[in-house]
Amino acid sequence: MLELRGATYRYAGYARPVLHEVDLALRDGEIVGLVGGTESGKSTICLVASGLAPLSIGGELRGEVRIDGEPTAGLSVHELAQWVVIGFQNPATQRSGVAATVFEEVALGPMNLGLPVAETLARARRALATLRIEHLADRDPARLSGGQGQLVAIAGLLAMGPRHVILDEPTAQLDPEGSNLVAAALRDLAATGAALLVAEQRTDLLDGLCDRVVVVDGGRIVLDGPAAATLEDRRLEDWGVEPPSRVRLARALAARGLPSLAELGWPA
Amino acid sequence: MAGVSTVAAGAGGASGAADAGVAAAGASRAAAAAIEVAGLVHVYPEGTRALTGVDLRVAVGESVAIVGQNGSGKTTLVRHLNGLLRPTEGVVHVDGRDVTGERVARLAGFVGLTFQDPDRQIFAGRARAEVAFGPRNLGLRGTALEAAVADALAAVGLADAADVNPYDLGYSRRRLLAIASVLAMRTPIVILDEPTTGQDLRGVALVREIVRGLVAEGRTVLAISHDMRFVAEAFGRVVVMREGRVVLDGTPAEVFAEAAWPALASTWLEPPLAARVGAHLGLGSTPTESALVEALAVRS
Amino acid sequence: MAGGYLVPMALIVIVLACAAVAGVLHRLVRVSLVLTLPIAISVILVSALTRPGETVLLVLGPFDITLEGIDFAGQTLVRLFAISTAIGLFTLATDPRAFVFDLERRGLSPRFAFIAAATIEAVPAMAARAGVIAAAQRSRGLDTEGSLRARLRGVLPLVGPVLLSSLTEVEERSLALEVRAFGRPGRRHLLWWPPDRPLERVARWLLVAALAGLVAARLLGAWPPIP
Repeated sequence: MLELRGATYRYAGYARPVLHEVDLALRDGEIVGLVGGTESGKSTICLVASGLAPLSIGGELRGEVRIDGEPTAGLSVHELAQWVVIGFQNPATQRSGVAATVFEEVALGPMNLGLPVAETLARARRALATLRIEHLADRDPARLSGGQGQLVAIAGLLAMGPRHVILDEPTAQLDPEGSNLVAAALRDLAATGAALLVAEQRTDLLDGLCDRVVVVDGGRIVLDGPAAATLEDRRLEDWGVEPPSRVRLARALAARGLPSLAELGWPA
Repeated sequence: MAGVSTVAAGAGGASGAADAGVAAAGASRAAAAAIEVAGLVHVYPEGTRALTGVDLRVAVGESVAIVGQNGSGKTTLVRHLNGLLRPTEGVVHVDGRDVTGERVARLAGFVGLTFQDPDRQIFAGRARAEVAFGPRNLGLRGTALEAAVADALAAVGLADAADVNPYDLGYSRRRLLAIASVLAMRTPIVILDEPTTGQDLRGVALVREIVRGLVAEGRTVLAISHDMRFVAEAFGRVVVMREGRVVLDGTPAEVFAEAAWPALASTWLEPPLAARVGAHLGLGSTPTESALVEALAVRS
Repeated sequence: MAGGYLVPMALIVIVLACAAVAGVLHRLVRVSLVLTLPIAISVILVSALTRPGETVLLVLGPFDITLEGIDFAGQTLVRLFAISTAIGLFTLATDPRAFVFDLERRGLSPRFAFIAAATIEAVPAMAARAGVIAAAQRSRGLDTEGSLRARLRGVLPLVGPVLLSSLTEVEERSLALEVRAFGRPGRRHLLWWPPDRPLERVARWLLVAALAGLVAARLLGAWPPIP
């Protein structure tokens, strides 16, 4: 289990903290969605939860990050990376640039960990299989579509063998085809039993995928509950979050006294 | 696969359950063409055939959304409109003139083009100065310049951030700043490249309002977008591209109608939820929530 | 006098032959010319015009152009080309990944592998970015095709974003790499490195021996410098 306890974080060079007293728990096998308006603190929560803040980017963190009850303070980034990894929006900047094929790219993580060759190969194969991209194994990582590139990046993270995967707006820079690829990959990822924290603007993507949804506003957690109920909460729009399409449509129908989607025979 | 239907919708942006044969068809054919592209082919130096024969006619005051996967040619197409790219074959007319060979800096006064990544554009230390760059290049000075800058900042909700360093704004607000820097140039044609990507609820609402405002002023608006709901609600016409050609062209009602779904599916695009529900319930084409609600209310 | 040319030209011929086999002859010639010509021109000018000698070929104002001067310039030139073509061949014919992996399996820290390969990626990435930035600024009316003054005014709007966005990209990249343990000290078990064939090993040792022999010959005076 990955926990943030009372996390208050200030970026280096900034006067005021961006996160205030954030409590967040990510349990094994859970899929948690993280939503909030722009500049609400979603990305910062992802960086703190992964340990990159303050370890890599500096800044000041008060409060704690714990994994299975043990504080993570004192661990180095690569030690932490075997427990929790983070993926970003841009597939191009997540490409190492030192791999000639997708297989090599995915194998880089375990190789960097100093694992024996057999183990590295096994992990790379497993990661490609989990995300169903074995057919991309011989391709040049620099010549993939955005969606494919993002899948390769996620596979590379998976190959590290972490128990917690954090993804910060994985579909933000992708076209609809790419977003669909990633959405399918998220389900495959969830099926491995890893805990998944996905920050997203597109609530449609989270709808039906997540067990829980957490809402951030002004650097604080304002709502944390079961996905369905949270995504239907009427305060979402006040917090700058677009509710999923089906929720909006349901409300538009109800406002006119029309039958609900279910009553109209639209499958849930 | 549905054939290409070229219907030039009239001025004004609202969608709704419009009839397939737009009444103003005759009038719009007579209306001035802001943009006219015929047989446009573009092959990049390394050999990529990005456009394989595009025909497009946009009347003055229309609002057109261009959709399709990355690589379908959307960006290549719009870059011909302000002279950044020259056609390999075919002609491009803007405002009645052939623009092949025109300097980009000159065309910038007629065609405003926003770019996706604000960080590959922003260089000034203050938001105000960044927005002033474009109009200043067009020769605006003094109070006229200040007014253009102030209006543009207000339109994107950054009026109170005029003296802030752009890099102290978050990424999404910087995107809005980049849009403002083109709005300030007050061009008759405005092309927005993925304006809602990365924006939250408020940002999307702002962009929608910007489009509506531009159309109300009689400007011609084009936008590249991946957001089908935004497209259905804010634009009068949708052009779907695939592999360098236009495969669908019509009002949102036409493009998201059930008959067009196979064509849409071939480009990996999905119609908005409202359209799917409407089709499921046999209500005809309801590309937006309001259209669906109206159709249901009428039926019951 | 002719002897001073023989060895360097023989070397150049060998290098060009290797380049032809490797398929990089055309590029090598171009790169070597571009790199060497500026130095060559200054060498020729200085030596030909000012070097003292006995056989004066031409008098140009205060300068006596002597045969000895031209000869010295010529010998220096072929040596410069011998060096530049050899280095050029190495750079063009070597796959950087293979090179870096080979160094690593012989003991070089993995960090060098990353730095070396990442810097190779940096230049084309920056060039591509510069192109987009130029397009964006031109679309806002920046005139890149006009007068010199206009072009000078365009420097900040063009260079500023290139630098800034390069910095941002570097930061994003390094975070992504850290997550995949690129910063971890200690050896790693490489999946692949270039094979070391017996022929190549012999060639390497021969070259090392030849170098040692040359240095010794020079030190012992058996191989005089250019007069």
